[in-house]
Amino acid sequence: MKVVNLALARCRPLASILIVLALAGVTVIAAESNLSAAQLIQQASPNPGPAVGRSAIAFSLQTLDGKAVALETFRGKPLVLNFFASWCDPCRDEMPLINELASAATKDGYNVLGIAVEDTRAAITEYSKEANLVFPIALDLNNTVKRSYRIFGPPATFFIDSQGMIRDLVLGPLTRERMREALIKSGAAPGKIVSGQP
Amino acid sequence: MKILDSNRQRSVFYLTVIFLFAACSSDLTLPSKGNRAAAIQFGPEISLGRAETNPAAPFLRLAPDGRLFAIWTEDEAAEQTKASNAAAHHSAGKMAPSPLRNAFLAASADGGQTWSRAKRVNSVKEAIQSEENGPKVAFGADNRTYVVWSIPGEKGDKTRANIRFAVDDGKGDFTAARTLNEVKDTARFPIIESSPDGNLLAAWIDRRIDNPKPRQLYLMRIGVDGKALTKNYPVGEGLCECCKLGIAFAEAGKKVYMVDREVDDKQIRNHVLRKSTDGAATFSRPVQISDDGWQVPSCPHSGPSLGRDSRGQLHVAWFTLGRSEKEAGIYYSVSKDDGKTFTQRYLVHGNTAPETLYNNLIVGDDDTVYLAWTNIDAGNRAQIFMRTLAPDGRTWSPIQQISNAKGNASRPVLALQKNRLHVAWTETDGEASRAVIRTARIAP
Repeated sequence: MKVVNLALARCRPLASILIVLALAGVTVIAAESNLSAAQLIQQASPNPGPAVGRSAIAFSLQTLDGKAVALETFRGKPLVLNFFASWCDPCRDEMPLINELASAATKDGYNVLGIAVEDTRAAITEYSKEANLVFPIALDLNNTVKRSYRIFGPPATFFIDSQGMIRDLVLGPLTRERMREALIKSGAAPGKIVSGQP
Repeated sequence: MKILDSNRQRSVFYLTVIFLFAACSSDLTLPSKGNRAAAIQFGPEISLGRAETNPAAPFLRLAPDGRLFAIWTEDEAAEQTKASNAAAHHSAGKMAPSPLRNAFLAASADGGQTWSRAKRVNSVKEAIQSEENGPKVAFGADNRTYVVWSIPGEKGDKTRANIRFAVDDGKGDFTAARTLNEVKDTARFPIIESSPDGNLLAAWIDRRIDNPKPRQLYLMRIGVDGKALTKNYPVGEGLCECCKLGIAFAEAGKKVYMVDREVDDKQIRNHVLRKSTDGAATFSRPVQISDDGWQVPSCPHSGPSLGRDSRGQLHVAWFTLGRSEKEAGIYYSVSKDDGKTFTQRYLVHGNTAPETLYNNLIVGDDDTVYLAWTNIDAGNRAQIFMRTLAPDGRTWSPIQQISNAKGNASRPVLALQKNRLHVAWTETDGEASRAVIRTARIAP
């Protein structure tokens, strides 16, 4: 590339001084707080991200059948929030377990909501039929909820108590043992799933 | 404004002196001659395909005659025909339940300004995959067109899929597609390249052996007539299950380099280079490009990119989260010893928000490296960004944003003509998607 910005070239001394002052300012600020530039970016983010013991991050989406769904909808009962995609291997691996969990949800006093990420309505509709999914699925078509929950790759499952606090989270595919532990933490009533019965 | 104490004032003074001194050196001043890479001026956005059928997953490739080709996917407009169009390759005749999408190919003879009428590649309607797993095209020396794509397996499972292959029939259409993977419902993430030896090389991620080493790298050689020259053969294992592959050739096809995201028993995902010196018959043990240490038991869905320059240097770009979110970003490294070792990774652009980023890299004839990727803008939308690395291997251009998506832009792909750089990507906004291309004039 041989592009030369002539205007800037003429102002080289002034540009140099401005660059120097800017760099010095950034360096002083970073040194003062002992932060790297990457950390500054992280700090600039208004959302601290999800963590055990923090309130779950509010969201408002539409389900596959076009109904509005929000975190608040589930207040009063524990919620299992599963992020998945139709193209994702480990999501498909864990889906029978999520589906089993959802089958027992009403009886055992909790809710299950799937949030489909980086996917299309058509693909998720077909996948839902193919896998006989029995829980509601919300479409995060613009990835905003995925980002707010800091999902770098599905699957990820959050166990939220009846007051909206995150009590456990599992990044990657769920196992039955891990699910049992997390359900208990979220305050769900023990049932067949929790007791590990087939 | 906070008043600095005397120590801090001294620090600022010394730093200013240091930077003023440094500013006098060539690294901090703009040179009058072009050894410093500068921002590229792109032309307007051009949309590929029919907006009403949601074009996505564009891929670009130059034909030997100089034309630029784009291939992408679109929704099947007549979804009601689905039931009567069973996927032909399944003997059971069951329809894959994934939504039907077609692959379209178009050419531009004027450097990306105008495009030919798009031609459908798949003669049978299929659920052609997009995103990280979109169709790819390659050309023979006589401009013959070869296309690969992925469709879900018989039960509709995208993760147990099949690689389809079609060739232009010389009469303006494509041959009926055939499945390349000999074991059904095992393969996805195909690529196809025209090897300098004149033949085609197809590669994909395969799961015909699910245990104990999940995901193998399978290859297949194909002749210019589209007929198989080899059976499927494995050349590597331990690949990440859902990330694209990168490939480059040297020495008339005798040397073949491939990059992929590898996953170990602890779910640590680093990138590796695999090298063949016998025309892709066998590959060396993988060489780790960077010890990023990203431990993730899920699907990053973002593979690396590879390019080789005229000096034989191998340039690689990738996304990683590293050992903490603070490291997340697009990284670059180069091998100057034919793939034996790689330089310490260089952070091209740190994540501006929690998101998996996608990248593509290409190397010009003058050894300039062009790198495009996604990152998140101030409005919480994914956009396409770009930088170039000058042939000196040190001088990076500023980061420039080249998309202005209302929703999200993703998965950029690059193509170079002698004096033009093309970048294409997918934009999604809610339920809709579009395939976009922009072109810039560059110094030949």
